[in-house]
Amino acid sequence: MIHVLQQILEKALARLSQNLVACLPPLIVAAVILSVAFLLATILRWLILKAVKAVALDRFLRDSGLGSFLDRSGRLRAASLVAGVAYWAILGTALLMSIDVFDTTLTSRIVQATVFAVPKLLAAGAILLAGFWLAQYLGRSTLVWAVNEGMPFARRLAIGVKVAIAFVAVVVAADTLGFAGRVFFAAFVIVTGAAALAGGIAAGLALRSALDRSLHQPGTRSGEREEHSLWNHL
Amino acid sequence: MPPDSVMPDEARRAVDAIRETDIVVGVPSYNNARSIAHVVRAIQGGLARYFPKFSAVVVNSDGGSSDGTPGVALSASFDLSRLLAVSTPLTGIHRLSFPYHGIPGKGSAFRLVFQMAQALDAKACAVVDADLRSITPEWIDLLVRPVLHARYDLVAPYYHRHKYDGTITNNIVYPLTRSLYGRRIRQPIGGDFGLSPRLIERYLSRHDWESDVARYGVDIWMTTIAVAENFRTCQSFLGAKLHDAKDPAADLSGMLHQVVGSVFALMNEYETAWIPVHGSAPVDLYGFPHDVGLDPVEANVGRMIGIFRAACSDLREIWSLALEPDALKAVQSLHGSALAGEKPFHLDDELWMRIIFDFACAYRRRRLDRGHLLRSLTPLYLARVASFVIETREMFAPEAEERIEALCMTAEQIKPYLEARWRGRAFEPARAGPDAPGKQTSENLEVLP
Repeated sequence: MIHVLQQILEKALARLSQNLVACLPPLIVAAVILSVAFLLATILRWLILKAVKAVALDRFLRDSGLGSFLDRSGRLRAASLVAGVAYWAILGTALLMSIDVFDTTLTSRIVQATVFAVPKLLAAGAILLAGFWLAQYLGRSTLVWAVNEGMPFARRLAIGVKVAIAFVAVVVAADTLGFAGRVFFAAFVIVTGAAALAGGIAAGLALRSALDRSLHQPGTRSGEREEHSLWNHL
Repeated sequence: MPPDSVMPDEARRAVDAIRETDIVVGVPSYNNARSIAHVVRAIQGGLARYFPKFSAVVVNSDGGSSDGTPGVALSASFDLSRLLAVSTPLTGIHRLSFPYHGIPGKGSAFRLVFQMAQALDAKACAVVDADLRSITPEWIDLLVRPVLHARYDLVAPYYHRHKYDGTITNNIVYPLTRSLYGRRIRQPIGGDFGLSPRLIERYLSRHDWESDVARYGVDIWMTTIAVAENFRTCQSFLGAKLHDAKDPAADLSGMLHQVVGSVFALMNEYETAWIPVHGSAPVDLYGFPHDVGLDPVEANVGRMIGIFRAACSDLREIWSLALEPDALKAVQSLHGSALAGEKPFHLDDELWMRIIFDFACAYRRRRLDRGHLLRSLTPLYLARVASFVIETREMFAPEAEERIEALCMTAEQIKPYLEARWRGRAFEPARAGPDAPGKQTSENLEVLP
């Protein structure tokens, strides 16, 4: 019994050592690739931060509001953004190269799928970024407008606008990636339909009450007087 | 004609026909049929009585009125024999009315007037609002004479107004302009000005006409350029300013944002002009100041405070990007005490000026969209107006004026705070101590912490 166990253990160890011997060179190569890439990425990031001014890009980030959107402190500089992108691009490429070193069916498929997905991922990322930025911008516009107009539930209204736009961005990004497109599309249609229905009902009710007021109190126009007295000191 | 001219073809033809004139008086208008005839008659009377030997053109620059304003302006007539002691005019007065091109707004209307004045080689130009009910022929003398005979470049108006009229001037523009540039121009956005050809040339050479300047921002833009670039400036006492009620349908909160946006934008441009300035100096005043009767102005304090209260919870996130933490905390505590009803609602002078200075710095740094920033100032402004109304309810006009003077002194005194924040440095209160340069000594000063 002990002999059988010993044989099994020896075979297992032999297979392990065989595998180790077979995998060790690619592992070492992968480690070297990653180390060199890390070194290269760090140096490049440092160089970009030191050398690149990117004044025009800085101005674009500041004027468009993207800078404060990506970094709430408002201190984001284009050079650090470019440096970050370069850093992660080198590390990502190195990771793919190090996976490819193993040269198996699985690793080849992973690398191939990743390479093909990169353009779509970039496009989806850009759509999400633009969508979330727009959601924040229009959400804030709605909030400030609703507060200044003295509307009730201003915050909820703004959140509604923000969520709706962010949701549209997610739907479009998911569609770009081909990810659960039908589910998102169905959800989008349902939400849009519900919003349109709610808006229609709200507009109808508001119109009815406005008509009621104007029919029953034709001479007062109190709202107009109130608005006038709020601003006539300007 | 310059390529960016807003002059329509008929205006060019009129310039070709008239060739040159001594005085141009501009009247920007939009649906002012009810009042413009009185304004044009007052201008004609003023030109005939005080400048009989000067040739003159009255230009109505209209923004597409639908109530026949241009027709009323052109047909308004004045019987000179009814004006006592009038000299017989040696030269005629041309009356013209044109629609301007470009962005609809008061600034675009002024631009057409200035271009015509330049094209006609005028020695002096004046602009007056078309909704004025209190304008008299003397206004033209008071606005034009300092330019023609004393070589001033800008004649700003100085009126008596009801204590609740012109609150944006009293609470923002006057204290800010005075503390920044050190000139006490009491009505920097009054709307009625006298101008020299030199200053008009400077205005027309600028390239920011398509911004808020095209709309309500033009008045403060004109005043700021004149004081920041050291043009000779004076004021003329015009009596009372009574004008038609503003159109309730108009976006009047937009006026606030355009004016404040223009002030902040010009702060960026002229930082080398205003940073070294400490304290302020009076500006020459022409005319004979006297008391006048004024129309009462109502203010809806309850609704203003209501909007401020709602904003305190809803706009906190946006304000936190503009205000320093201590100012934000003070605003929130104001909201708390107002809710509790412990004492009358009061937004004190120092906190208010810090709010304005913080917003100016946030505008410069673009920590959030400038439109959002300026619009989020509205509830704070309404809170300040409500506080001012409550505080001055029982006061007569001179006492209310003293309150505004105290606000201005506070603004001048805490200007080092603005300078520090503008340069991205932490504010050291010691700099505002008794030995600091420009320290004010007026008895009107409030004690600052």
